[in-house]
Amino acid sequence: MLKSKTFVKKTRSGGVMKVVREHYLRDDIWCGSEVCSECKQESTVLQRDACMESNLCSYPHYLLPDTNVVLHQIDVLEDPVIRNVIILQTVLQEVRHRSAPVYKRLKDIIHEKEKHFYTFTNEHHRETFIEREPGESANDRNDRAIRVAAKWYSQHLKASDSDRLKVVLLTNDRGNKEKAEEKALLVYKFEEYIKSLIANTELVDHLALSNDDKNEISSSKVLFPEHLPLSRIQTGIKSGSFLQGTFRASRDNYLEASVFVQGEEEDSTEVLIQGLQNLNRAVHQDVVAVQLLPRNEWVAPSSVVLQDEGKAKDDNAEEEEEEKALRVSAAEAARKPTGKVVGIIKRNWRPFCGMLNLSQIKESTRHLFTPADRRVPRIRIETRQAASLAAQRIMVAIDGWPKHSRYPNGHFVRSLGSAGDKDTEQEVLLLEHDVPHQAFSQAVLSFLPKMPWAITPEDMAKRQDLRHLTVCSVDPPGCTDIDDALHCRELDNGNLEVGVHIADVSHFIRPGNALDKEAASRGTTVYLCGKRIDMVPELLSSNLCSLRSNVERLAFSCIWEMNHEAEILKTRFTKSVINSKASLTYAEAQMRIDDTSKNDDITKSLRGLNKLAKILKRQRIEKGALTLSSLEVRFHMDSETHDPIDLQTKELMETNSMVEEFMLLANISVAQKTFDEFSECALLRKHPAPPPSNYDILLKAGKSKHVEIHTDSAKALADSLDVATVDGFPYFNTLLRILATRCMMQAVYFCSGMDNDFHHYGLASPIYTHFTSPIRRYADIIVHRLLAVAIGADSTYPDLMDKHKQSALCNNLNYRHKMSQYAQRASVAFHTQLFFKSRGILNEDGFVLFVRKNAIIVLIPKFGLEGTVFFDSKDKAKANPNLVFDEEGPTLAVEQHTFHIFDKVKVTISLDDSNIQHQKIRMALIDPVIPGVSVPAPDVEPQAKKPKLDR
Amino acid sequence: MAGLELLSDQGYRIDGRKATELRKVQARMGVFAQADGSAYLEQGNTKALAVVYGPHEMRGSRSRTLHDRAVINCQYSMATFSTAERKRRPHGDRKSTEMSLHLKQTFEAAVMTQLYPRSQIDIYVKILQSDGGNYSVCVNAATLAVIDAGIPMRDYVCACTVGFVDETPLADLCYAEEGGGVSSLALALLPRGGQIALLQMDARLHQDHLETLMEAAMTACKGVSKVLDEVVRQHLQEVSVLTGE
Amino acid sequence: MATVQVSEAEKVYILHGIRDDLRVDGRGCEDYRHTEIETDVVSNTDGSAKVTLGHTAVLVGIKADLGKPKPMLPKEGYLEFFVDCSANATPEFEGRGGEELGTELSNTLYKVFNNKHSVDLKSLCISPGEHCWVLYVDVLLLQCDGNLYDAISIAIKAALFSTKIPKVHISADEEGAKEIELSDDPYDCMRLNVENVPCIVTLCKVGHRHVVDATLQEKACSVASLIISVTQKGTVTCMRKVGGGSLDPESIFEMTEAGKRVGKALHAPLMDLLQQEERLGTKRQKVGFLG
Repeated sequence: MLKSKTFVKKTRSGGVMKVVREHYLRDDIWCGSEVCSECKQESTVLQRDACMESNLCSYPHYLLPDTNVVLHQIDVLEDPVIRNVIILQTVLQEVRHRSAPVYKRLKDIIHEKEKHFYTFTNEHHRETFIEREPGESANDRNDRAIRVAAKWYSQHLKASDSDRLKVVLLTNDRGNKEKAEEKALLVYKFEEYIKSLIANTELVDHLALSNDDKNEISSSKVLFPEHLPLSRIQTGIKSGSFLQGTFRASRDNYLEASVFVQGEEEDSTEVLIQGLQNLNRAVHQDVVAVQLLPRNEWVAPSSVVLQDEGKAKDDNAEEEEEEKALRVSAAEAARKPTGKVVGIIKRNWRPFCGMLNLSQIKESTRHLFTPADRRVPRIRIETRQAASLAAQRIMVAIDGWPKHSRYPNGHFVRSLGSAGDKDTEQEVLLLEHDVPHQAFSQAVLSFLPKMPWAITPEDMAKRQDLRHLTVCSVDPPGCTDIDDALHCRELDNGNLEVGVHIADVSHFIRPGNALDKEAASRGTTVYLCGKRIDMVPELLSSNLCSLRSNVERLAFSCIWEMNHEAEILKTRFTKSVINSKASLTYAEAQMRIDDTSKNDDITKSLRGLNKLAKILKRQRIEKGALTLSSLEVRFHMDSETHDPIDLQTKELMETNSMVEEFMLLANISVAQKTFDEFSECALLRKHPAPPPSNYDILLKAGKSKHVEIHTDSAKALADSLDVATVDGFPYFNTLLRILATRCMMQAVYFCSGMDNDFHHYGLASPIYTHFTSPIRRYADIIVHRLLAVAIGADSTYPDLMDKHKQSALCNNLNYRHKMSQYAQRASVAFHTQLFFKSRGILNEDGFVLFVRKNAIIVLIPKFGLEGTVFFDSKDKAKANPNLVFDEEGPTLAVEQHTFHIFDKVKVTISLDDSNIQHQKIRMALIDPVIPGVSVPAPDVEPQAKKPKLDR
Repeated sequence: MAGLELLSDQGYRIDGRKATELRKVQARMGVFAQADGSAYLEQGNTKALAVVYGPHEMRGSRSRTLHDRAVINCQYSMATFSTAERKRRPHGDRKSTEMSLHLKQTFEAAVMTQLYPRSQIDIYVKILQSDGGNYSVCVNAATLAVIDAGIPMRDYVCACTVGFVDETPLADLCYAEEGGGVSSLALALLPRGGQIALLQMDARLHQDHLETLMEAAMTACKGVSKVLDEVVRQHLQEVSVLTGE
Repeated sequence: MATVQVSEAEKVYILHGIRDDLRVDGRGCEDYRHTEIETDVVSNTDGSAKVTLGHTAVLVGIKADLGKPKPMLPKEGYLEFFVDCSANATPEFEGRGGEELGTELSNTLYKVFNNKHSVDLKSLCISPGEHCWVLYVDVLLLQCDGNLYDAISIAIKAALFSTKIPKVHISADEEGAKEIELSDDPYDCMRLNVENVPCIVTLCKVGHRHVVDATLQEKACSVASLIISVTQKGTVTCMRKVGGGSLDPESIFEMTEAGKRVGKALHAPLMDLLQQEERLGTKRQKVGFLG
């Protein structure tokens, strides 16, 4: 049967277009129920005994939620208790249209077999399709479609089964409910139903607050201006009276935010927003519309730190005062474009981690939740288990923010565990840095090779057999995901053959399947202290793809023929099979090279590699590659408790650099090859040269010790860093290199068709990519695929050749990469805190790394730890010391003493755990002694009084 | 805005068809009395009129005359109101010229032109409403018109477009699907011998998928040929009833 | 224009027939041939109609689009005409062959229809001087068997009758910039008043008499013809002499009177038919070209 769907839409050029689409109705769409005898379905999803014990429904029943229930209560629907649910196509489509994240979650639920969620294609079913009636809005039509489908189901089931099995429509819309009741449908409000469930009381907490409840909570007083409707916003943006941008709340001041407005090309602006009214319920990361205030109302960003302490701020007096404090007269020049939020274009709410502040009223079920991310406002939630949640890290989702409520309303999602607990904190860290870390789903795992796995003759046919070569791998100790292995041998013509063999991950991960999509979304493996969040399932990362010794593994090899001066004579790429002869650590490899008594093949191979690597490195440095320095910390973990017992900066050996040299070489060779082959869609990595102003601090630092640094080119910088030494200050050079690292730009992935600056500044290479770590980086998988196509070893697929899609992929990879680095740093910081917690107070030597207006930043080389020593105190009772900051130096004079960059100081280190959500390492000055500022060196005793300089 | 979901998890396409299902095909032969042959065919919302004049003497420049067979002359045009956004001119743009050429090639392969040396056969096709698969609908309509004109052909020429989404070939794409970033392939088939009169693919597709896609296209074309055959038989029956035989 | 070859003997036969008010196909001089009308045949247009008049077949599609009113008439929308003489009608129209005729036809259509007396152009105005609806009236000639003007005008009137223009909502922000939003309800649309839309009657002077709705053969016997557009009240809104020959003033007067009479009589059954079809609503089985 045929129906056509007609709608009118506006074209981009402002014209009007009538679109007609066909809409076929079918009678071969089955109901998906086990009990049904009418439908000729092959498999069923909905169970015969759909038992969810409820006070309201004492019979087996299927649930049929409407769109808003799915959108708002997805947290509850995800609960394993909720099973046998019919998701109508109408609902699915509406959800897809309105919220991509909820849609994805809903799809995940539908795929889970145990949940018994069935999608009923009601819009194409002959008996459940309805046409929109005159005067009916699109929403009303959809509601009616849902009711019609519910009716159909209940009659359909009645026909095949005795009256037992029923369908329950769940809706929170009063009108819809009434109409459904008129049609004699079983219908309940979602809350009503969930509350009726026997023995599932904790589900109630997951409930999102519905509209009705909100009215009760808040006073009728309107606190915020109304948000403008989307249509008004769009016209406003078009006419230029509003600006669209991403809302970024200030980390330090809850009354301040900025809106980043992306302009044409690089012409982007930031609009400052100050005050609750102007912030108007926008939450960090929302896309908002702002209106600029008249120029005379513009303000300067305040440097005040303000945290929303709000016990129960019903009196606005205090708040107003705080707002007033913001408006301290600012110099005309410092004023920035200031505006107010007039509407929300897109909410970017996600579940937030944080902790509960219990309400003072003991019996209250409403509590405030403080998110770990200071940029997110506190959220009001309703829970009955507040007491047990008090000391836990929990997740809360925002449901809405009515205009008469001081805080947004939300609901409890789940508990992460008790605060301060290592696992809990790790979870928080991963969630807050948006690191996907759930166990791999069944769909993903289904694409793994079946075990036992062996190399088949078909595999061999396309590959070069390199099993006879003396290949070995060199990695850090304890490494189980070995991406790369090397070999070097002398050829008959006297030249050397060097091979870099990389795990052939793209052989296992085929484009477009769930496994591939998951890996692409994760982007990178994240290494935390004592934990690794894999990008690909463990079977691949630690077994099939890991180039372990004495097993046959598939590899992608890059083989060069070189002469003894390390000049490349020939390069070739091939898919191969290798059998690594040894998995060595850097130290083991170093020992073999140094041990003159050893002369086996592996050692000879290593020596050859080492010799060539040295030449390569020299050449690279001559070309202007930078050797930069950052202190990497390594924890010695207690093998049982996994607590850090010692902390040590990583030591670099010659072999580290040996492996690195060949990886760089392979990456460059591959970059060149893929770019030659696919000039439009090669995935490359670039490192832009930093703007000259970035080097200011480095130049000043050098000048302070009478050392000249040249920054005209990478080469000049490298050379001047090499000669920058100060007698009697051996650590000076390292410090300079650390500073130089901070001046650099972030290296990024990009698609060659979308950019024309390919230069890698740090490596001084005109072209670069990532090829050597496909187990832990998705970019490498793409590069593998491109290279495989280039050498005819594998086939392409459309997305690989689509530069826009690839560019979007690069953006995700860059984002994941950045977040994984942040997560890594946060993990190190957390473990450092754990370490200092166990150590109590320590006194250490350090160097001043930066000088700020009111503080110095001190680096402790022993731990690679950086901390801030504040000189001003917010404690009003205590007088601030006299501070004079000179930007030129930069120097900071505190009373009589003047701090310069790189000054040696002595500090005491301790852990400040006064705020359980934000534990911090505190540093206080011991030496030089400044009366009233420095503290006496405490004994290295755990229980010494904690200094609280900056409270 | 999220793009359209071309194939749902339940296996339904945007308009409710399954992957291999064709749109509803309806056709009528002998729509116009003045022409030697004419036919109207709609495949879903794509509707085309085809008219055949000839075989007749060469018109215009005689230099195009072929001494061993007939010249096939095609013109493809679209009604200005046929597309969602109004077209400026019905024909003469590059796309129509290309389409005309494709039609010509298709029918040169199918019509037994050697029977009519030094003559000309005109095939004019007009799209009245366009909703994807214009080429295929034109070919199918023109086939009926040629049959209506009584010009011998080797076999029906049946055409169909197929697309490739989520590793699944979709038969007979509608406009929304064609625009949804699907790599599509148009195929004109002489079903009995399984010979291909025209094959056209503009998007990127991996070679490995070509075979499955071709197979899907051939199946779809055979489906079309069944419908066309029925139309022809029905028409003949009606005509013979009218003429009293 | 498509022509037929008529021999001298045939001409005489036709002329004599007409003199006796009995035409070759049995009609009287002021009779139309069998006419079929169907509206709403092309679903992606805003209004459409298919008309067959004898063997003449015409398809008209109307699309409404947003535009800017003409500076001289800021309070009115306007119509645009395009006549596509397609090769389907006759091989002579192939390539650019139909352009001349198409232009001639569309120019006449502009004169007849694009004025506020024929169509309620004011109702097409959205905001004076800024936005208005432009109706693109596209005529597609599918088969020519004479009397194109009449067939086209009937088809246009029917198509205008069936045209549904989406309702719009104008929102203005503080600066006065106006934004047009379309109603998302497909039932929420505006209909045109076609009461005053005229029909064209072509009168062919054959011998000493004139006939309406001439076939190609009759046309071949005629020296000149007169086209008259007549409203339902019988008002003549436009008149034009076409064809190579010449007419004397008396016969023009005579022909005008006949045209008025025929034209006036044409409207009532047409409107009747259209309204009858409209009443069938969605239950109507669409025939299109399949019937």
